[in-house]
Order: sequence, then C-alpha cells, then structure tokens
Amino acid sequence: MKMKKFINAQENLTKELLEGFAAAHADLVTLKPGNMVVNRKLEAANRVTIVTQGGSGHEPAISGFVGDGMVDISVVGDIFAAPGPQACVDAIKMADRGKGVLYVVLNHAGDMLTGNLTMKQVEKEGLHVIKVVTQEDVSNAPRSNSDDRRGLVGCIPTYKIAGGAAAEGKSLEEVAAVAQRFADNMATLAVAVRGATHPSTGSMLADLGEDEMEIGMGQHGEGGGGRSAMKTADATADIMLNALLKDLSIQSGEKLMLILNGAGATTLMELFIIYRRCVQILKEKNIQLVANYVGELLTVQEQAGFQMFIARMDDELLRYWNAPCNTPYMKKQ
Amino acid sequence: MLLSKESVVSMFRSVALIWQQNADSLSDIDSRFGDGDHGVTIGKMAALTLERLDSWKEESIKDFIEDLSTGFMGISGGSAGPLYGTLVEGLAEPLTDETAIDATTLKAMLTGSRESLFEITKARVGDKTMMDALIPAVDAACQAENDVVKVLQAASGAALQGAKDTANMVAKFGRARSYGEKTLGTPDVGAASTALLFQGFLYGVEKQG
Repeated sequence: MKMKKFINAQENLTKELLEGFAAAHADLVTLKPGNMVVNRKLEAANRVTIVTQGGSGHEPAISGFVGDGMVDISVVGDIFAAPGPQACVDAIKMADRGKGVLYVVLNHAGDMLTGNLTMKQVEKEGLHVIKVVTQEDVSNAPRSNSDDRRGLVGCIPTYKIAGGAAAEGKSLEEVAAVAQRFADNMATLAVAVRGATHPSTGSMLADLGEDEMEIGMGQHGEGGGGRSAMKTADATADIMLNALLKDLSIQSGEKLMLILNGAGATTLMELFIIYRRCVQILKEKNIQLVANYVGELLTVQEQAGFQMFIARMDDELLRYWNAPCNTPYMKKQ
Repeated sequence: MLLSKESVVSMFRSVALIWQQNADSLSDIDSRFGDGDHGVTIGKMAALTLERLDSWKEESIKDFIEDLSTGFMGISGGSAGPLYGTLVEGLAEPLTDETAIDATTLKAMLTGSRESLFEITKARVGDKTMMDALIPAVDAACQAENDVVKVLQAASGAALQGAKDTANMVAKFGRARSYGEKTLGTPDVGAASTALLFQGFLYGVEKQG
C-alpha cells in the first residue's frame, strides 16, 4: 500500500512533529534537546515530579499530557520506538525538584529495556526514583502473569491519578503507591478492524481482511487475540466489556472508570455507539460509572479500532482523577 | 596475527557497511511480526559507527568501543539501541590500554558481550531473539584455535546458523511474542542483524589480512 501522508523527509518525522507540537502548545510545554517535552512550570514545582517515555506516532500520547497535574517530562523516541536510556536519565535529573521522581514505563520490550537500564543508572547516581509499570492488556496473558501484559491506554489515567496525588504534596512513596494501586486495578482490551502503517517504511503492520476484526490487538497491530468476522457495535461491546469485568472480578455495586480510546481511524460516532451499549451493560449489572473519557488519547497511524479500558475506582482515586490539570490534551478545573 | 587499531577500524567499518546494505531486508523481516523498523535503527547505528570511525584519533581501542556503545544507547529506536549498546559495551570490558588485540583477548571480548547481555535479558537459545545468534557465536569463538581469523570465522559461522535456526522457533520475547505459533517460518530479525555483525567483523579482518 502506498502511503498518502503529509510528511517531509521520513528521517525528520519525529523532530518535525515535536517542533510543531511544542509551537502549538508553547504556553504549556517547551522542547529540550534529547526529544524531551517539558512542563513549562517544572522549575517552580515543589513536589514529586513525573517522567515518562514512549515512541512517537501515537499522538496526542504521550507528550499531549505534559503539563501541570500530569506529566512533567515526556522523553520521545522515534516512531513506535522507545527512546534510549541516556535521554531518560537526563530527563529524570532535570525533573527532580528535590522530592523525587515517579518514572512511568509502559510494558513493551523496548520501553522496559530502556526503563531497566535507566533505573540502573539513576540508582548508581543516588537519585530518588520509583518506577511504575503499566501492563493492563488482558488479551495476551492472564492476570497472574501480568509481566506479559502490554501497556496500552491505561498509562494516561495513571499519569492523571499520580499527578493528582503529587499536586497534593504526597511523598514519592505515597504517589508511587497510589499509581501502583490504580495500575493494579485496571484492564484494557483493544480491537482492530484495519492495521496501522509505519510512517517511516510504509509497511502495513497488520493485514486484516475486509470483513475481519481482531479483538486483543496490541498497540501497533501486534496480534494475539484471534480474528473473527466483523461484528456489530453492540456485540463487540458485549464481548469486550464482559471480558474486562471478568478479568478484574468487578462486582455489583462497585465504582468504575470507563475509557474508550480511538486508535486514530475510528470515528467518534462509532465510539459513542459503543459507549451507549457499555452504559446499558453496567446499569444492568448495577455497576456505578463514576469516571469516563471517550475520544483519542493514544492512537496509532491509520489503525481503525479502539481500546476499551476499565479501572476499579475508590473515593481517593476519583479525587485525583478529578483534580485540576492543564495539559494540551487534558484539562480539568 | 594481532588486531591492530587499523584492523579494528576495518572490522567496525565492515559491520556498518553490511548493516547498511541489509537495512531494507531487515525492516522487511521486522514488518511481519514487529513494527517494521529494525532496519531503520540498524541504519542509524551504521551511520553513527562510520561517523565515529572517521573522527577516531588518539583514543585507545577501549575508549573508542565504549564511546560507540554510549552512542548506540542514545539512539531512540526501541530495544535495538540499548541491546547493541550493551553488546558493544561488553566487548570493551576486558580491555585496558591495548594497542593491538590477540586471540585470547578477542575471546574475552566476545565473552564480555555475552555476559553483559545476560545481565539485562533472560532470553537464551531457543527463545527466538538475537541471543540465538550471539550465544552460539561466542561458544564457537571460545572453542576455536587461538588465531583471530579462526575465532571470527567460527563466531560468524555459528551466528549465521543460529540466526537461520530461529525460523523454526516460536518467539518468546519482544513484540513478536504476541504472535506465538504464527512466527514459525520467519527468522528473528535481531538474530539476523547479529549474524551480520559477526559477518562484518570477519570480512573486516579478512580485508586487512
């Protein structure tokens, strides 16, 4: 398939996208060497700060959530690729305002490798850093083997919850414990109906037939869930939400966050139709929907489909989710 | 023969060139079960290697290799940068201020690369990763006669065979892991680029010899 995209030189994709992003949101973020997107208010921050990392090509993630109340520095790798550990070590040093740094890493091979090498280095240098890994994809491993679960859209609410706790002046240990508790109580399932393309090479990452869908697709079109014939919105929502509720053993009366994250090529119309069905199912089961988001947080080039995310909530987590934040793609007052 | 600084230059230059020549086919293999950009990252490492070789002046062989390792670590191309950075860092480990490398030191360098990777990954032979090329290469190198060319011939041959063997394996690590049985029939791209690394080392020395 030939790519039809507004790009210039392929080798400059990440650089140019970050320059444009930083210019478009110059009031909130600034771009530093090493592909770091930095919260403009970082220097004045007298609290635990938050650093994360991830490949580009997933906009608005991850840099779209840099700002007060969420991420302080996002270290950006090339398209779909983790940044190197040196840039992450530099970012953690820059982020540290004396209260320690929470380092959030998504469970993907490259990110974990960078995360482990970064931790080795910052520990050697005596910095106060705690790493939290998000690994909530229910499709490729059971909950008992969460190290094999991929990190999908769950990183975004994790930043928000951790950011809310940090803003209240909690210690690094407390912020990390809250982030970990939230991460341990979340689950995501992704579905794809058309694969992503790689903007550097033009290759298609997953080749789905015209009438096929795959529930259990990873972030970039890595399979795992098994293919089936295309289903209606309601039938898809039933399969996905029931699998998630079962994974977390959510009971009647519990409080829940629900996020529908569009992969980039699925319309809001479709997402709302799915959301409508999810609300019906939760009502039938007497599960309280206390927090939500419908839209695009973490996308992938040209992929059609979405990620369904749920998390078990309590009053403290809900307070952090609702706390003020001011970032390019998430604002709360 | 001893590997002089000129031989080391020739070895790394040859690796860079062989990586550049194969970048597209590596991306092609990677697009089947990865995200199709391994060749892009390998191309970046090749370009960085050539640039560093051109600016290599008075530094020792150890310093050059260590600087190259730091450079690889800084490449933002997913796991390949840190993995190759670690491999290359391990090569420098047994060195001090040598101006030439004998077969015994070369074996220690290759062993160092394997040990460094053992510290950061649990992958072993049979898991369908770069370790399927690296581990047999180091084993074969250590068993070879004490002659630098024979050491590199043994390593290169074993790495190539190891990479070929990955076609009959089910991926246990990395992005391809999610595809399980479907990965049968396709070799591992990391093993392929590691086999090219050893081939490059060998060609570089043969050119010198």
